[in-house]
Amino acid sequence: MLSRHALDKSLTGLIRVAFYISMALLLGLIFAISFRGISAISLNFLFLPARDFGASGGIFYQIFGSVLMVTIAAVLTLPIALGTAIYSSEYMRSNRKKRVLELTLLSLNGIPSITYGIFGLILFVNVLGTGISWLVGSVILAIMMLPTVTLSTVQSMRSLPVTFRENGFALGFSRAEVIRFIVVPQGLQGLVTGLLLGLARAIGETAPIMFIATAFSGVTVPVSVVEPVSTLPTHILALAQQATNPAALKNAWGASFVLLSIVFLLSLSAFYARTRLKNLNQRL
Amino acid sequence: MYKKTIALILATGLISCSAPEHVSVSGSTTVLPTVSKAADAYRVKTGQVIIVNAGGSGAGFNQLAEGQTDIGMMSRDITPSELDKFQNINFEVVAIGTDAVVPVVSSEIYDAGVTSLTLAQIASIYKGEIENWSSLGGPDQDILVIDKEASSGTRHIFMEYIFGDKFALAKGADLVLGANNEEQTALTQSDSAIGMLSHAWMNSDVIGVALNDGTIKIEPTLDNIRSGKFPITRDLNLIIRTDISPKAKAFVDYILSPEGQNFVAESGYVKNTQ
Amino acid sequence: MAEARFLIRKSYSEKSLTKTYATACALLASAIVIIILSVLLSQSGSAILDSGPSLLGTEWNPARNLYGILPMLYGSIIVMMIAMTLALPIGILSALYISETLSEKRRRVAKTALEILTGIPSIVYGLIGVSVLSLWVADIFGLQTGRIILTAGLLLAVMILPTIISLSEDAISNVSTQYRENAYALGLYRYEVIKDVILPQAKGDVIGAGFLALGRALGETMAVMLVIGSLDRIPSPAYNILASGQTITSKLGREVAESAFGSTHFNVLVLMSLILVVLTLSMTLMAHLIFRTTDAHA
Repeated sequence: MLSRHALDKSLTGLIRVAFYISMALLLGLIFAISFRGISAISLNFLFLPARDFGASGGIFYQIFGSVLMVTIAAVLTLPIALGTAIYSSEYMRSNRKKRVLELTLLSLNGIPSITYGIFGLILFVNVLGTGISWLVGSVILAIMMLPTVTLSTVQSMRSLPVTFRENGFALGFSRAEVIRFIVVPQGLQGLVTGLLLGLARAIGETAPIMFIATAFSGVTVPVSVVEPVSTLPTHILALAQQATNPAALKNAWGASFVLLSIVFLLSLSAFYARTRLKNLNQRL
Repeated sequence: MYKKTIALILATGLISCSAPEHVSVSGSTTVLPTVSKAADAYRVKTGQVIIVNAGGSGAGFNQLAEGQTDIGMMSRDITPSELDKFQNINFEVVAIGTDAVVPVVSSEIYDAGVTSLTLAQIASIYKGEIENWSSLGGPDQDILVIDKEASSGTRHIFMEYIFGDKFALAKGADLVLGANNEEQTALTQSDSAIGMLSHAWMNSDVIGVALNDGTIKIEPTLDNIRSGKFPITRDLNLIIRTDISPKAKAFVDYILSPEGQNFVAESGYVKNTQ
Repeated sequence: MAEARFLIRKSYSEKSLTKTYATACALLASAIVIIILSVLLSQSGSAILDSGPSLLGTEWNPARNLYGILPMLYGSIIVMMIAMTLALPIGILSALYISETLSEKRRRVAKTALEILTGIPSIVYGLIGVSVLSLWVADIFGLQTGRIILTAGLLLAVMILPTIISLSEDAISNVSTQYRENAYALGLYRYEVIKDVILPQAKGDVIGAGFLALGRALGETMAVMLVIGSLDRIPSPAYNILASGQTITSKLGREVAESAFGSTHFNVLVLMSLILVVLTLSMTLMAHLIFRTTDAHA
């Protein structure tokens, strides 16, 4: 049996090796994508439409479609998340019920993304007969984002010291006014953070939207809500199936790099929001 | 005041829910390149937006039948069971060209000498009875047998010819892929594969073998396809419903016109009139 | 005086408006998961009636009315097991490194980096799988194709690694410093502190993290779909992970668009999706129940 000292050295070595492996894998991933992707990026790539199955041309309408869908998804989630957070934080008294609500929301997170796609297909495209529609895609993405945004908002609302609310009541505010003027501004920090994190996830999703909201080519700017759009993730999927065509592959890396950059930007904004906005409110 | 905003929102909602101006086409990845190119040109010519989607012959038919698309692309016939599911709809099949399904092998195998195969040999490979190229005059390598998704038009035609049964199970299959693109990719990535591919997707890495019917070897060339000598052929079809919109019909007519047919030839298929 | 009366009247009507609004939102949010499950159930019930016996078979051939889902179930579980076997040890050990060795500043950098890494979209993993990893695997093992069960497992392992590290690190750091300080003061070596003091306390949350990662591994579609080979068959020695296979998610991703809504084919696919949801939902709920219980103790 090894001495305690030797065991300690081994374990320390082991966890260091594990950490280096993890970092090597994950950072290697980022570098590989960036390295291969940057060579595909040019002003043309970003602003021209795709041609030839995506093997030539650019990804402009894909960027547009992605941004459009997640923006509308955010617009749809925001009011529901805010309302639910207000209800949970201000109107619910029983801790058990709060827990149940929390678990209900968390279970939405536990549903695989392809199931969301199938759900959208059954309920909206078929039963309600909307057909392929980017708005339905936004609705599904909004549902997927709901838990993240709601829970983040609830958390920041809960962090408000009780005295703030008490002061409000003492000043003669009704509950609704306390909520509107004191609680919600505090909750905004969590709302914005949650929204940005949710957007970062939603814009990268393929499975929920691939059979209910997207088309491969010919789509530009939709004029109605019952039309498909092209998006970055579905475009990458189509290109990945032509992986031995060098032109298509290069564009796939380029599109991935663009997608990744948007996701990183959104995530970084979320961190920024988390730290800065928190201080801002306290100062007020 | 609120009433006005609500009315405005409802009005915008209703307007945006009205029938879209675009024509949508979806289905077979074999027909897709031709239709895509034609759609681009058509748009430049008439300003009509055509939205093209892949998905495979089966998906194309389903979407057409369920009203989600105006035109379905299929590289095979509609099966009786598919027609059964939608008995109250009348479909019309418009052939826009002819294509061949070719048994293709990785270029390394072809270069090593396997330049033709008999029906029986292909059947054995797909049944899993022959597993090594050496039994067929090729190098000593395991055969990577590539199959396609069950509703693929390409597969129906191929299986019908090889086994006499569109829905035959290929017990010897090692890999199952979807679009022609994907299959071409996998064939290129391997150096001992066999697969079923539309003629237009053959290239220097993916070469079609000739069919050996005992006496002659029929090469998969455009001439042989045109003349009917190469037996594994199918029509490239656009499926429409009899209640098709005029805009979609105009596009179908365009593809049938000489200008549209040029795109068929450009994509590597045989035009209608030839 | 008039203002005060105005204020009171306004706040009464506003109170009910805000409350109604908030209640409506909460009801909607809670109902959604039930709606989703009901919709799935409605489309899959008939699948059992129409094709009951064949469901437990291993042959999938819709044209012949054979709907054996076993190969898909098997594939999903094997791929998940490969991913967890690789990612869990490396993840937990890395988390230990971050929590116990790194300075506070470096730790924050690492945590931020990890959170960003969890955001890499799955389709990007799929692209890497199909254009890089599957070729490497084919080269290393001398195979004709790298689109096999092993590749899917490897890819998934890298996917869930950031999640495991991040959550485990949270669990480990949550163990109060007092315990650590006491242990070190007693002269224990680091590995002993980890083994006997920290891990027993963090065990609950780490297990919860494991369940979450498991759920995610089972439910992943895009990365798996492109590299698994889509072969509806259980490999011939069942443990042969160098063969192609099929998972529930990959099957769904490839065939849902091809099946007619309302057909038995479609219904069986929805049934598979329902099975998947039940599995992943239980994983997720178990994880969160564990998280809270350990919180309560802390």
